Amino acid sequence: MNDYLPLKGVRICDFSAVWAGQTATMYLADMGAECIKVENPFVWNPMTRAASPRMDAFMSAMLPPWAGGHPNSDPGPRPWNNSPAFIHVMRNKKSFTVDSRRPEGLAVVKALIRTSDLLAENLAIGTLEKLGLDDDAIRAERPGIIILHMPAFGKQGEYTLGRGYGAHIDSVAGSTILRGYREDAPYSNVQVFAGDFFAGMHGAIAALAALRHQRRTGEGQVIEAAQVECSAQMFPQAAMDYAWNGRVAGTIGNRSIEGFVPNGVFPTMGDDRWITISCRSDEEWASLARFMGSPAWAVAPGLQTAAGRATMEEMIEERLAEFTATKDRDELFHVLQHAGVTAGPVLSARDAVEDAHLDASGAWKDLPATADYPATRFAVPPYHFSKSNITIRTEPALFGQHNDYVYREVLGLNDEEIESLRAAGHITDTYDAQLLAGG
Amino acid sequence: MPNANALPGALDGLTVLDLTAHIAGPYATKVLADLGAKVIKVERPGGDPARSLGPFLNDEPGPDRSATFQFLNTNKQSIVIDLENPAGRDVLRQLMRGAGLVVSSFSPAVAERLGVTPPELDREGNLPFVWLTSFGRTGPYRDYRLSETTLFAMGGEMFSHGLADREPLKYGGTAALMQCGAMAAIAALGAVHAKELHGIGQVVDVPLFDVQINSVDRRSSAILAYRFSGRVQVRATGSTIGVAGGIYPVADGFVEATASFGDYWQRFVEMIGDDRLREPRWLQPATQADPAAKEEADGIIYPWMLSHTRQEIWARARHARAMVAPLFTARDLFEDPVLRERGLWAEIEHATLGRLPMLGRPYVLEKTPWRIRQAAPMLGEHTDAILAGAGFEAPAIAALRGHGVVQ
Repeated sequence: MNDYLPLKGVRICDFSAVWAGQTATMYLADMGAECIKVENPFVWNPMTRAASPRMDAFMSAMLPPWAGGHPNSDPGPRPWNNSPAFIHVMRNKKSFTVDSRRPEGLAVVKALIRTSDLLAENLAIGTLEKLGLDDDAIRAERPGIIILHMPAFGKQGEYTLGRGYGAHIDSVAGSTILRGYREDAPYSNVQVFAGDFFAGMHGAIAALAALRHQRRTGEGQVIEAAQVECSAQMFPQAAMDYAWNGRVAGTIGNRSIEGFVPNGVFPTMGDDRWITISCRSDEEWASLARFMGSPAWAVAPGLQTAAGRATMEEMIEERLAEFTATKDRDELFHVLQHAGVTAGPVLSARDAVEDAHLDASGAWKDLPATADYPATRFAVPPYHFSKSNITIRTEPALFGQHNDYVYREVLGLNDEEIESLRAAGHITDTYDAQLLAGG
Repeated sequence: MPNANALPGALDGLTVLDLTAHIAGPYATKVLADLGAKVIKVERPGGDPARSLGPFLNDEPGPDRSATFQFLNTNKQSIVIDLENPAGRDVLRQLMRGAGLVVSSFSPAVAERLGVTPPELDREGNLPFVWLTSFGRTGPYRDYRLSETTLFAMGGEMFSHGLADREPLKYGGTAALMQCGAMAAIAALGAVHAKELHGIGQVVDVPLFDVQINSVDRRSSAILAYRFSGRVQVRATGSTIGVAGGIYPVADGFVEATASFGDYWQRFVEMIGDDRLREPRWLQPATQADPAAKEEADGIIYPWMLSHTRQEIWARARHARAMVAPLFTARDLFEDPVLRERGLWAEIEHATLGRLPMLGRPYVLEKTPWRIRQAAPMLGEHTDAILAGAGFEAPAIAALRGHGVVQ
């Protein structure tokens, strides 16, 4: 069977961690690259497989759902195999374990590099170098390899040693300061960060481009995708407004920077149920006014242009909120759309799971139970190819799941060598006991 | 250092027929153009609506003065074709013959009305055809309208963004649309690889709704957490887990800190350097969960923060390996000497606007550099050249112009 996978035959030696790196290689794995995660049973990479290796039901409940919502709120003995935060990024990948800090482990890693077309990493600055794997050493093993570095703040320059997760990437990239309630300090920006996610996409883009060049010419190269610089692309309007006009943008809440008036979030009947409405044109405003029964305030001549509405935006928002407050959210969504007004419900996680359109359009895939999580539905990749078989082809890689494949088939080790590495703790499907004990 | 201009682009030799407009689609093709692809931007008469999106140079609107448009369309060529006219569709089909990829953002209904669906434009199905739609080509919401705000509300994690006692909050700017554009660029590059490796064309659907549902800026995690545990991610009451962390005001702005528990706490304390915070009791879970302890910690941390600048704090944080970073504004992004030295900003040379700064590269590719070869095109700037390149003779071009098929 030909799956027409775009990256068929490409192998990735994957040292990536947290979100930026792990999503970058996820996109490449989606496209058919054989992405082999290098996992060290003696080193816990923070926020890479779970919030903690010692996650239990108590800690699970203490943490917010995205990080702590393990199956039945009980992570069981292997929380690194069932974290709702991180399990997605393991799809279509393979996992093998090795302690690369020891000579025989480093030799294993080097053997993997010799068969790889791309090496990806976003470990803390200097980690690979400490292992003896600087760019030259990697290229000595495999000339023509692509090396994808995704440092938080760059590999050169004064900020190199800065540490950061998504929150800190967003801060420096100029994104956090733009997110907040209108004319308010940005304290409300506490839970959702996108800088590392956006950087992950750009890491994949750069790698896909470099892989094309490599296929055509045999030439590899080093890529530096500093997460903060990738992320700075997410808000070009604000950055350019300063560069061209010297203006510093602030928070505008749910209003639009595209000139849509009104544009916001309005309450509907029930508890914590909201609808968003955007009038993207004067026609949409006219449709909305008609839909509301053409009240005098809404059909006033001054409000028939976006510029006119902008002068009365607060009043419009208040009146609109009064109107929506007595309506059913989902009914309002559909009738507004049919009336020609851009509107959409603010969907909670539960709402999204129950959404009829996502169900009907094939956004989910049922995956079977494993020892660590029950049968459940996962989101399939959001790019739907008509010929290439791009979906969740293999379930999220459990820790060490592909040791046998990697050591035997990829690296060609014999039983004796494998037993020796197993005895030394390199080959395992769990973390080192001392690490798990908190030592 | 080899001369960067002598090096090839990673996407040299790839011609992209770009049928996108507004923000998401043009960002996808900008990404390709900046990596060396030849991107032919097909504009409607009157142009891409993004030409009228602010901010404008000196706040004066004009088809070339939109900074948003200029950013989204670097390195592209523009041809204006009236696709309402059947002859315009013939021109489009002619241009397709030289293309290696088509990217479209027509809504399904408009594409059907204009006859610019994949089978109508490419009968043999030989070309990769990436199609950004709001909600996909099937399903009950197919023809629904979308904005940045409705997109993030429905597909993204808006429900849990903001404060518990207030309304849900969107991101700034048009972040969700930009994310969709980046995802479409990944899809496009995948389709190009499939074409070049296997010789196949295909349609690749990229519904913006699906992109947001899949985003790991916590949406997919929140959804799976609900499936696993029945817990729904809600808006928080404040920014802190434990006795410290979140956003602090400092002498000249704000910083973001991760400081709860373990190493994070110890490095944070090391950064501040106050012995009172070094006492072992702070590391105990009971202390971390105690409101009185938080008040006590605040009494030490806030005065320290307010007496230091963002850069002072960040320098100390880097030294202590603490997870703390400054909140930069657009001014900082533009003027920060370190980011500038690294090359965050580039320049464009525009025929009528002159030399202007342009937000620069997201990545550094050693052998196939990202680069700006030209500013965003003026409306129809390359119409004649593109037609000539597609085999149209001068009289044919004149006739097309005469009939208003191209401009």
